[in-house]
Amino acid sequence: MKAIGRSLLALAVCITMFGAAAMAQTTIRMATPYKATVLDPTKSAAAGEIELFGQLYARLLRRSADGKLEPGLAESWEVSDDGKKFVFRLREAKFSDGSPLTAADVAFSLSRALGEGSAYPAPFSAIESVEAEDERTVVVNLKAPAAPFLGYMEIFNAGIVSKADVEARGPEKAFTENPVTSGPFMVKEWKPNDRLILERNPHYWRTGHPKVDQVALIEVADTNTRIAMLQGGEIDVARDAPFAQVGELDASDKIDVPLHPSTVIYMTLLNHGRAPFNDIRVRQAAAHALDVSALTKAVTHGHATPANTTLPEALLFHHKDYPGISQDVAKAKALLAEAGAPQGEAVIMVTAGSVLSEQLAVLIQAQWAAVGLKSKIEKVDVGLWWDRLTTGDYDAAPSWWYNETEDPDLAARWALCGACGNKSFYTNYNNETVNQLTEQALNEIDPEKRKALYIRMQEISTEEVSQIPLYYPPYTNAYSTRVKGLMLSPALQWNFEDAEIVE
Amino acid sequence: MGLFQLLIRRCLQLVPILIGISIVVFALVRLTPGDPARLLVGPRVAEEVLVEIRQRYGLDQPLPIQYARYVGQLIIGDLGHSFRYKIPVSQLIFNHLPPTLFLVCYAIVLTLIPTLILATVAARRQGQWPDHVIRVIGVAGMTMPVFWLGIMMSRLFGVSLGWFPVSGYGEGFVDHLHHLFLPAVSTAIWVTPILVRNLRSALLEEMDSDYVLAARSKGLPEGYIFRRHILGNSLLPTLHLLGVLVAYLLGGTVIVETVYAVPGLGQLMINSVLARDYFVIQGLTLYFALATVLVTFAVDVATAAIDPRVKL
Amino acid sequence: MEQVTGQGQASFARAPGLLLLGGAIVLAYILLAILAGSVSGYDPDIIDLNQLLQPPSALHWFGTDHLGRDVFSRVIHGARIDLYIGFAGVIAPLLIGTLVGLVSGFFGGPLDALMMRLVDLTVAFPFFVLVLAIVAALGPGVESYFIALACVGWVTYARIIRAEVLVIRSRDYIAAARTLGLHPLYILIRHVLPNAISPVAVYVMTDIALIIVFGASLGFLGMGSQPPTAEWGVMIADGQTYISSAWWICFFPGVAIVLLGLGFSFLGDGLASLLRAGR
Repeated sequence: MKAIGRSLLALAVCITMFGAAAMAQTTIRMATPYKATVLDPTKSAAAGEIELFGQLYARLLRRSADGKLEPGLAESWEVSDDGKKFVFRLREAKFSDGSPLTAADVAFSLSRALGEGSAYPAPFSAIESVEAEDERTVVVNLKAPAAPFLGYMEIFNAGIVSKADVEARGPEKAFTENPVTSGPFMVKEWKPNDRLILERNPHYWRTGHPKVDQVALIEVADTNTRIAMLQGGEIDVARDAPFAQVGELDASDKIDVPLHPSTVIYMTLLNHGRAPFNDIRVRQAAAHALDVSALTKAVTHGHATPANTTLPEALLFHHKDYPGISQDVAKAKALLAEAGAPQGEAVIMVTAGSVLSEQLAVLIQAQWAAVGLKSKIEKVDVGLWWDRLTTGDYDAAPSWWYNETEDPDLAARWALCGACGNKSFYTNYNNETVNQLTEQALNEIDPEKRKALYIRMQEISTEEVSQIPLYYPPYTNAYSTRVKGLMLSPALQWNFEDAEIVE
Repeated sequence: MGLFQLLIRRCLQLVPILIGISIVVFALVRLTPGDPARLLVGPRVAEEVLVEIRQRYGLDQPLPIQYARYVGQLIIGDLGHSFRYKIPVSQLIFNHLPPTLFLVCYAIVLTLIPTLILATVAARRQGQWPDHVIRVIGVAGMTMPVFWLGIMMSRLFGVSLGWFPVSGYGEGFVDHLHHLFLPAVSTAIWVTPILVRNLRSALLEEMDSDYVLAARSKGLPEGYIFRRHILGNSLLPTLHLLGVLVAYLLGGTVIVETVYAVPGLGQLMINSVLARDYFVIQGLTLYFALATVLVTFAVDVATAAIDPRVKL
Repeated sequence: MEQVTGQGQASFARAPGLLLLGGAIVLAYILLAILAGSVSGYDPDIIDLNQLLQPPSALHWFGTDHLGRDVFSRVIHGARIDLYIGFAGVIAPLLIGTLVGLVSGFFGGPLDALMMRLVDLTVAFPFFVLVLAIVAALGPGVESYFIALACVGWVTYARIIRAEVLVIRSRDYIAAARTLGLHPLYILIRHVLPNAISPVAVYVMTDIALIIVFGASLGFLGMGSQPPTAEWGVMIADGQTYISSAWWICFFPGVAIVLLGLGFSFLGDGLASLLRAGR
């Protein structure tokens, strides 16, 4: 026995020494739970891809570190007086294979993003036509003026791909085997379900960027494993550290958890399509039953802001001064009594494997029970969750969402509008006024007037409890101190091209 | 019977098993609620996009037609394509095979020496305290949940002491050894007691057999009898059990791979189930079944080669 | 030399000891499960947001979890659900396997051949993968797990029973009963079953332990019992996030599983020695 112990120890020591081999190139290694499964920017709107597409495909505009829109592939642009015609002037840029990036590529890429087969055409629905006027000029005609349009030229699926390459290899091959990219990075190696290694694109238009040679995106589903990897120095960035560990991690000399703002909102969906939550009084009772700030504090260890409206805090025109619905047990009981006690138990549906949503569900269940609203928790896997959500087979579902831009237009369409294709995040909430305001706000160019419209939408939907807003969490990404200047924008875009490694 | 003929016969026996398994898995997978199309492209996509994806993969067809197509593909050796990664399932399996294979071999290697030593000690000191201690530790190792052990070990050796990486597979042989040490130990901890138990009782049985009594009556030293006669003859049943365990491990490293983030077949399986990546689930199950049968066959052959008394 | 000659006695002498120890552990768990409410002192589901993540103390012996619930109380109440999983989970495999093994071994012929093909099929199916797929198809929860167990767990029992029956079938007293013209079903139940069942009784103990550990693994993967039920695997999965700051959430449920597993294994070992000695 002793002999075994000794030889194991010897083996361990010897292995440890081998493991510490130095790396020749500068690489930022990030562990993330979000998978990269598709490299075609028009084929997915899932979190893993949203974060990735920006690294591979440059857009006409870009955002600076402080969130300002600035020239990207387009060095300048003009808007017609009626706000319906945009003329973009392209800078001289190249694809990763060295071929020139022209107006034809832009027209091709935008047409793919808004056309058939695009996973997420919603941002481009205002576009009537995209044409290449000459080598370097792109003309976009809109059906009607759209306030957020310029911002949409920056989002993840507005990336420019090579027309020549996609047409030559076909869209399947062109995006699985070494895609031709226009962004800061290109694909060096892709091991599906494991890791994606990006290397710097030598032809990227921003000369001097990226500053690092490689970025490795490593898929690690387990939160604890990611943290342990960061602590062990195996990676430089851990996406989504648990709130419980933020304090401890940040206290370490080698790790920073800067808590950058995000467009994420946690809330509880309520199914307006069936009893008990088809009754506004029961919904209001459910909202008044919750002590949102205590709940936020417990779940996020005080790192998030309790939510006061149905839209994320980081969006433009968020209604900061709105009081929201506060806890009032007596009122909740009164509302329930008035509505007539609901029959049976409401079903709280949570996704299996998410400790956080389970925790929320248990807390909500307990606080609802305190006012006499009975419920039971049903844990289902992600696939089933979406199935039951879209078919309306649930009563409540703690969940979260984020927005790809800081403009509230897409957020309102996704979460509040009952006539925009997904029944207000499948809650079946359908308020005519809110629906009209959504369209009106898209076409309103004056920021002050737009703001008033969005404020009104937030007041109506919060008052009617379209969902129960819970909290606005910051990002809890944990960084090794050897990485400098890296951050995730509120709208899920990394600036790997600006980041550096310092030893 | 020649080895070759035997192989042919085993393969023929395999056909109905594979057909049965393919039907069961196909039915299970397709009847599982959850839409692969939505999981593929994220929540915010338009309904038309989902319809188009389902059409592209033929998911809108009636199930019997889908199954017939699948079998048609299988016959020409095509396991289909992954929905998510757009690459052939066979390639995906091939990519994820090395870490799992490495892990299983590693765990077995770590198991062998402790098994021999512990079983020998337990058998020769039967009923005395070493035997009891080995038994209790063994039972504890067997019933210890792998995920719990994994969490505790990665915390202690990975984070607090920093001796081993807590995840991944690494690059190159030595790095693999380093990365997979904790996962392999976690596996060995419950495999070893099973083998020890088996080997110990085989040893005891041999120690009681007539030829050992005869050797003993001739006055041969106990240690000599043990090494020359008992040990060799006792290894066969354990070898057989080892084969069964290897077959089980090839499909049973799911939890270890999850806890230590090893990019192997177990992870691929669980991710594919969650993503409803139908062809990957089906292909993996067929692969696991095939591997089980082949490993069993290999063990049978090895047994026959070692011991002429065993007939195939 | 003495230890070799004395081995028969040694194992016989050890049997009651192991049996008693294993029995005592399992009995203690059963008692705790029954009396959980009065032993624990706290309601396992009561949330106290002022008592989050408290370390073990005189007030909370095993500390509190991320919702301020008493971990000791949850571990004790967890015995209820986990023992239930073990005992209830073993029933279907035991019954199905025994039936298949009895009928298959006793009557032989084409029925036996068919059954054995079914066994081959199930064995070639990777156990874990099948359970995973079935639980995914039926949705997480204890009931799905039971169904999955019923589908795959019977094989071992069928094999054990069939092997025993094949031996018993050729015994004189069975032949005698047959010549007396007794109904085969009567012979099967009255004479074959009682003689074939003892190795099964031993395996049941091991199997219960395995079913509990495996059930906890499913709980860990998020496919186990529904919240807020206190189940050891789920508790470990929940506590994993807090392992660095609050090790007790994870640690104690794990110990509970290991100890219960030890209990069942000892019980099985002791039973086996007793039966061997009895023969």
